[in-house]
Amino acid sequence: MAAARLPASLVLQPRARTLRAFSTSVSPATRSPRPSPSTTERTSRYGRPLRRKALPPRTEKMAVDQDWPSVYPVAAPFKPSAVPLPVRMGYPVKRGVPMAKEGNLELLKIPNFLHLTPVAIKKHCEALKDFCTEWPAALDSDEKCRKHFPIEIDTAGYVSAGPSIRNPKARVVTLRVKLSSLNLDDHAKKKLIKLVGDRYCKSTDVLTIKTDRCPLKRQNYDYAMYLLTVLYHESWKTEEWEKTKTEADMEEYVWKDSSSEKNILETLLQIKAAEKNLELSKEELLGTEEVEEYRKSVVSLKNEGDNENTLSQYKESVKRLLNLT
Amino acid sequence: MLKGMTRLISSVHKLDPGRFLHIGTQAPQCLAAHLDNQVATESPRAISRTSENDPAKHGEQHEGQHYNISFQDLKTVFSHGLPPRFVMQVKTFNEACLMVRRPALELLHYLKNTNFAHPAVRYVFYGEKGTGKTLSLCHSIHFCAKQDWLILHIPDAHLWVKNCRDLLQSTYNKQRFDQPLEASTWLKNFKTANEHFLSQIKVQEKYVWNKRESTEKGSPLGEVVEQGIMRVRNATDAVGIVLKELKRQSSSGIFRLLVAVDGVNALWGRTTLKREDKSPIAPEELAFIYNLRKMVKNDWQGGAIVLTVSQTGSLFKPRKAYLPQELLGKEGFDALDPFIPILVSNYNPKEFESCIHYYLENNWLQHEKAHTEEGKKELLFLSNRNPGQLERLCAYL
Repeated sequence: MAAARLPASLVLQPRARTLRAFSTSVSPATRSPRPSPSTTERTSRYGRPLRRKALPPRTEKMAVDQDWPSVYPVAAPFKPSAVPLPVRMGYPVKRGVPMAKEGNLELLKIPNFLHLTPVAIKKHCEALKDFCTEWPAALDSDEKCRKHFPIEIDTAGYVSAGPSIRNPKARVVTLRVKLSSLNLDDHAKKKLIKLVGDRYCKSTDVLTIKTDRCPLKRQNYDYAMYLLTVLYHESWKTEEWEKTKTEADMEEYVWKDSSSEKNILETLLQIKAAEKNLELSKEELLGTEEVEEYRKSVVSLKNEGDNENTLSQYKESVKRLLNLT
Repeated sequence: MLKGMTRLISSVHKLDPGRFLHIGTQAPQCLAAHLDNQVATESPRAISRTSENDPAKHGEQHEGQHYNISFQDLKTVFSHGLPPRFVMQVKTFNEACLMVRRPALELLHYLKNTNFAHPAVRYVFYGEKGTGKTLSLCHSIHFCAKQDWLILHIPDAHLWVKNCRDLLQSTYNKQRFDQPLEASTWLKNFKTANEHFLSQIKVQEKYVWNKRESTEKGSPLGEVVEQGIMRVRNATDAVGIVLKELKRQSSSGIFRLLVAVDGVNALWGRTTLKREDKSPIAPEELAFIYNLRKMVKNDWQGGAIVLTVSQTGSLFKPRKAYLPQELLGKEGFDALDPFIPILVSNYNPKEFESCIHYYLENNWLQHEKAHTEEGKKELLFLSNRNPGQLERLCAYL
């Protein structure tokens, strides 16, 4: 109704003009001739309790060096009036800017970590220090930690308020170990990598075993340690059927007994035969420097793949081998 | 005539390429005036043609220049070897001009210094699409033809592993398959290319075709070829015999053999051909591919093997693949090892200028901005100096 709305608009007008002051002074020229109630009074002139004028936001009263953890002591939704940052979020309309923080639902939806600023975390650490023991003085570098404790176990605990304190996610145990810290020879390492498959990362040399098949964390930890033990011992053993390993099973290219070796041998033999130079035996032919260089270039070509470097190296070594200028 | 004039122009004027090209397209009458006025200054600049038409004499000084291939050679040596777009260009310009480029020069240098007592060396051209591998191959074939070698040129090995309508079971070996049509066309082209050799080379074994026909020992190879052309059923076997005989006899030194295969990665790839029961055929089950594999092995002397690996036309290979190991696969690499890989790359700036100049000379670029600096920069940017791409772009101008 127009009558009900009018006081509200009149109330808003002075607020728009005077940002901070509580004063009710308004220029009489702009005021409508109808008598309007004073904005500080709470008169029930129109039979409806008037809304209290909105107070200025708390951000205006905040000092720069205030104690922030007391503003946000726990995880709380984003309060635009309590966060003094001029944050904007949202997709802008054409030729516009993202929406301001007041009444911005986007800022409410996302998780915020305003309760975990470095200052707050420092305070938490200080509080937790009473419950901690000293860090061993001998372990002062990462390498020493890795040397003495090569196996790293990751577990997660979950706390929540609810009818039950159990959380099924808490039983997961991840075991990480670098293979360089295990005592493995060449064959054992290759066998272990083949046994674990995807769980080994070649670039970081880390074996990761994640177990969650037992109901308790303790049981999963025991199972992970058992798996590591079994893998280690099995990879050291050599079975009968491992002798039938073919070229397709090889992880990397091996020059010896490869077709490349055969080809080059035949070629060299033919060259020597053409030059009536049959004194050299097979071993001597294969032992020359050019063949050695050729071997290196072929191995790098096969293992690393084609690129400028490997191809030009290969080209040079073949040219030298076949005595081309 | 235009060749002589362009050389005179270049020796007379000291110009940047933009202005130079502009004068190149002017009418010849103004040349006299220029000659009177100006003095011959320094060495010739980037001219796009050379008069040296013998590939044997091509050297580094001819790099970037086009040389002419005579129509005679076109009909005999290149009856089936040139890429189709190049053939169209030849027909349009009424001349066949090939650019002398560094990879081809490198190969010619190796070929000139080949030791014919040693086993045949394999050279593999590789490079991205459209960089000029096939034309470099053709350049070397022209060189060998002029040096009177026997040319065994398979223009595109990919054509043999796909789209074959009539596959017959091989008469020689029941496990393998024949491709009569392709074999007979190839034999016809082989005959035109090496006419004079066919009567000189004698077959060293008796070959029985069927109950009535046979080729006696000591008869010329031309007879085998004729037999293949006439009796299409036996064409693939005829090809096999030709390959075998040539391989055996090249070591004896009567002739020198050049084996040139374009798209050699087809020999070790996959085929799209299927048997009647829809099971796929491996390449080695095709008699032609089987014999060709034996040919590119380096267990014979007295010649050279020049190959290209190309993705265009290949089956089941990604479009961006151009490196030898990617296209040949493990099997192909092991079979061709050891070989000399030669990279064919895009034009360098000099070659690019030369190519544009050649098109302008032949009035191929009709766009008014084509000879200006901005026009050339635009072409450079659009084509990235890739020869194939440049040719396609200029076709629209």
